[in-house]
Amino acid sequence: MTQKHESRKKGCHAATVLSNVRAGECFWKMRLRFSGEAAGAFARFRPGQFIEFDTSDLAIPATESIPNALRDGARRSVLLRRPFSFSDVAVQGDATLADLLYCVVGPASLRMTTLRAGDVASLIGPLGNGFTVPAGKRTALLVVGGMGLPPIRCLARLLSTEHKDVEAIAFIGARTVASLPLEERPAAFDGGLSLSVPTFATLGVHSMVATDDGSAGHRGPVTECLARWLQENVDRDRESLIVYACGPERMLEAVAQIAAERDIDCQVSMERRMACGIGLCQSCAIECRVEDSTETVYKLCCQDGPVFDAREVVFGAETA
Amino acid sequence: MSVEFAGRKLANPVFTASGTCGYADELADFMDVNALGGFITKSITLKPRRGNPTPRIVETDAGMLNAIGLANVGLERFIAEKLPLIAKMEPAVFVNVAGTTIEEYVAVVERLAGEKALAGFELNISCPNVKKGGISFGIDPAQVEEITRAVKKACRSKVLIVKLTPTVTDISVTARAAIAGGADALSLINTFTAMVIDIETRRPVLANRTGGLSGPAVRPIAVYLVNKVYREVAREAGIPILGLGGIRTASDAIEFLIAGATAVAVGTASFIEPDCATQIVGGLHDYCVRKRIASPAELTGTLAGPA
Repeated sequence: MTQKHESRKKGCHAATVLSNVRAGECFWKMRLRFSGEAAGAFARFRPGQFIEFDTSDLAIPATESIPNALRDGARRSVLLRRPFSFSDVAVQGDATLADLLYCVVGPASLRMTTLRAGDVASLIGPLGNGFTVPAGKRTALLVVGGMGLPPIRCLARLLSTEHKDVEAIAFIGARTVASLPLEERPAAFDGGLSLSVPTFATLGVHSMVATDDGSAGHRGPVTECLARWLQENVDRDRESLIVYACGPERMLEAVAQIAAERDIDCQVSMERRMACGIGLCQSCAIECRVEDSTETVYKLCCQDGPVFDAREVVFGAETA
Repeated sequence: MSVEFAGRKLANPVFTASGTCGYADELADFMDVNALGGFITKSITLKPRRGNPTPRIVETDAGMLNAIGLANVGLERFIAEKLPLIAKMEPAVFVNVAGTTIEEYVAVVERLAGEKALAGFELNISCPNVKKGGISFGIDPAQVEEITRAVKKACRSKVLIVKLTPTVTDISVTARAAIAGGADALSLINTFTAMVIDIETRRPVLANRTGGLSGPAVRPIAVYLVNKVYREVAREAGIPILGLGGIRTASDAIEFLIAGATAVAVGTASFIEPDCATQIVGGLHDYCVRKRIASPAELTGTLAGPA
């Protein structure tokens, strides 16, 4: 080899930060702009797909702006990329814009808050398999648990633009009103189905909110709202319904059970610790059933998922 | 940029390390795998292995712990599904072999020894994350020699690299044992057994309790161990070392060469920058040009004494 190797970056892209603002108590929203080859790659981004964001070179915020709960862990160095799913993707001329809604929970997400407009971020993607919309579906029931919102919000956008014959209804759950990852907070949440949540209302999607402590909407798990809606609409053709869910694994398990009891199709977006996101490290194993067998196999969340048919998944590995 | 490694001519001395580069198809989207000098597959066992329950990884400062548990498709599916693509690759391909008994190791190697596309094997006797086999062979010099001898017999003309664990009192002892058993080359180091505790639950983070520490955190130890094995064993025996442990830049790779490695492998860094290994090939080339060095082979074992 006499010539310097020319590195090819297919799948590893640069994105320009357009904005990065606080959107709630611990939520931030970053808008990214892809151009050139990356714009084409991300124009085809499917809701539920994800990216691996490199935060290892980012600065740590000034101590006074680090939340108390994170100060101890904030000094930890970051090595691995972090997976995120976009909450919105839009093509604008030659560019593709993507919204990254994130929760500040540790040293990596804390560093992301220091990115400013004009900065360039390194990310790998689009990765994995997103949600699919099977033919014949008329009603999509979107179930969100806390930070499971972004891919579901992205799906709601897709349904409202490319599947206008499918009515979408969102069920949004969180521990408390403060942990609802919403940029715009409605004045009041009632427990019923309404156009009160702006991020869904702008897409014409009705929604219902539930919190564990009753600080907004229905008091109790969001799965109770889903079960109640299905009870009230028991006369609907089950073949025309589909449930999509993203959130904590305990919630996904409950959603999957509700759907299975009524024999309704259900797709869940799973989460695992992953070092690479591209099938190299083998760390993001999801236990899956093998059809017509009592056996199970490990599939990879990054390559075989993160969206799985709920009937396939053996839940509970990481809920203990 | 070419080097000779255990009788094989390699286009350059940069490998991707076992367990961090899949079966090559995963990496092909991100780099030209043909720009590598060598490629080492994920561990192959006689039967498919599911691997450990999750969580299988946890990040630490400048490193990570993994406890994958040798999850792999098994020998038959490897031959049917993975080997055809690997056979088309230009780099020297080594199959990393693992097992729970000597017979299992031998069976895998016997089956693959006739494959023209393979340069050889890397014997994994240093995996810290399985209950049987793996590291239990690698910490006992008598067993290292016995398994190396048995596998070498099955290798035919293929190169046998023995991968050593750092979790021994004196790595030169196991290095000598591997050479006595017939190893053509040594690779070091595998990961260090380590633990991370969740202080909220007071439980280990990994489902396997412990995992193998890798990444930049281990690099200076790996450089030291490569130099130690080179000085105490490998130089005199004329056995090349494949150096690895936390390499993510060309400078890191060059340190290993100076310490005594003939070639280097990139592991954890590929998770973060999938084309890291080929970038290092470029950086190494630049260094050689700057230092007017015809081949990276001239760097091997050139560590000078204290100034």
